[in-house]
Amino acid sequence: MRLGMVIDLKRCIACYGCQMSCKAEHGTPLGVFFGRVIKSEEGNYPTARQVFLPVLCNHCDDAPCVNVCPTGASYYAEHGIVDIDQDKCVGCRSCMMACPYGNRYFNAESSNYFGDAGPTPYETARSEYHTEGVVMKCNFCRERLAEGKLPACVANCAAKARTFGDLDDPNSTVSRLIKERGGYTLHPELGTGPNVYYLAP
Amino acid sequence: MSKQRYDQLIADLRADFRPQREWGEGRGLFLVIGHFFVGIAGGTWLMGTIYDVPFALVIAFLLGCLGGLAHLLFLGRPERAFGMVRHWRTSWISRGFYGLSLFLVGGVLYLPTQFFPLSGLWTVIGQLGAVLAMLGTVTIIGYMGFAYTASKGIPFWNSPLHPALYIAYAFRGGIAVLLIVAATSGTTAADDGLLKLWIGVTAIVAVFFALELQGALAGGNIAARRSVREILAGRGALIFYGGTLVVGLIVPVLLLSMAMATSPTAMALIGLASAAGDFFMKLSTVKAGIHIPLVPPPRRQRA
Repeated sequence: MRLGMVIDLKRCIACYGCQMSCKAEHGTPLGVFFGRVIKSEEGNYPTARQVFLPVLCNHCDDAPCVNVCPTGASYYAEHGIVDIDQDKCVGCRSCMMACPYGNRYFNAESSNYFGDAGPTPYETARSEYHTEGVVMKCNFCRERLAEGKLPACVANCAAKARTFGDLDDPNSTVSRLIKERGGYTLHPELGTGPNVYYLAP
Repeated sequence: MSKQRYDQLIADLRADFRPQREWGEGRGLFLVIGHFFVGIAGGTWLMGTIYDVPFALVIAFLLGCLGGLAHLLFLGRPERAFGMVRHWRTSWISRGFYGLSLFLVGGVLYLPTQFFPLSGLWTVIGQLGAVLAMLGTVTIIGYMGFAYTASKGIPFWNSPLHPALYIAYAFRGGIAVLLIVAATSGTTAADDGLLKLWIGVTAIVAVFFALELQGALAGGNIAARRSVREILAGRGALIFYGGTLVVGLIVPVLLLSMAMATSPTAMALIGLASAAGDFFMKLSTVKAGIHIPLVPPPRRQRA
């Protein structure tokens, strides 16, 4: 089994629901976004349009971040998920330089969103899961998967733009969507074998 | 996290060309300092061995210690540094950790035999130390460039010339330290040869650097080209022109062209300026690192 995600850019309305649900699920520190939405414009008036690109860790088959990690903190977990063992990471950040998708973040220090007012009870509860001085990233919500749930960004996508499933199963919805709609990955030329696919808008 | 830092992070995430700031800014500056010290330590050990200058070996060892310390200060969790022994098969950072460890252990074993009349088992231990230190030297000279080249996310560094450049810079650094040692100790036997060697290695370094910039401009992707722009006209420009070119190249060349080039003061100044230039070169290339943009894919492009 090889877990992967398909994001239909035709359906995405850039509501940032995935970004916010990810933040709520993981309680990530200030400035850390396991999943985010990039907005850009292309073309010129009168044919200009906005383009949305939701991005997250691509859980690559040949992940450069795993190769460069000196401690083995970045590793392949079950079903091809790339995760970080926070107890092994030394915070050298070489994985951040190796990731062609820029989806790793360094948690330099504990911080909260309301400054001098201090952390909210929610932040206090969530921050205990995050170690300072280490790198963090999306793990396809492994803890939710273990409970039989979908990743938070998939479950909370209002436009149903995200589909999650087994890429090794040719009959799965993700495999079918990729085949029928010509799913592609970001920067395939780098040979990293990403497991997040996009369907053209 | 300060508001200023947060705002900068958000601005970077929104930018078309996202600069890397983890290596080379804030605490990341310790990594550049560490690479500078470790590179120059390797070069100095090698040149000190070739020219048989025991005092230079001591300097090399001390520089290696400083480099190791700077690396530790850079790490987010330095107390876990020994965990870096695990992944040497694929990680250049891990190999560098082994290299520096070998270098320092070898230095501790070898250096006493250079200054004290030891015999018997100590001689064997000293020879073992020399072998370990030389293995460590080769590794630390090489690992830095490869660590950058392994960074697929930063196309400018992801160049086969980067390791060659770092190796050449290590040699140049070693010669610079030897010039300073020769100037301060009054040794003049090999000074002229050292200066000629410095000129030769500097020429190689300049050619490698020019080739790297040209390669990025001609064959690199948009992020690599943007990095060159950052060096020549962006946030690394002041460091490049002022540090790498003026301090590291023009000042030593001017001193060399003066008639008193072989005077101890001039030689020491050439060595210092050359070493400072090496540091600024490393800083400017690190600061010029740009992540590959995640450009929106074109319509209906198939995998």
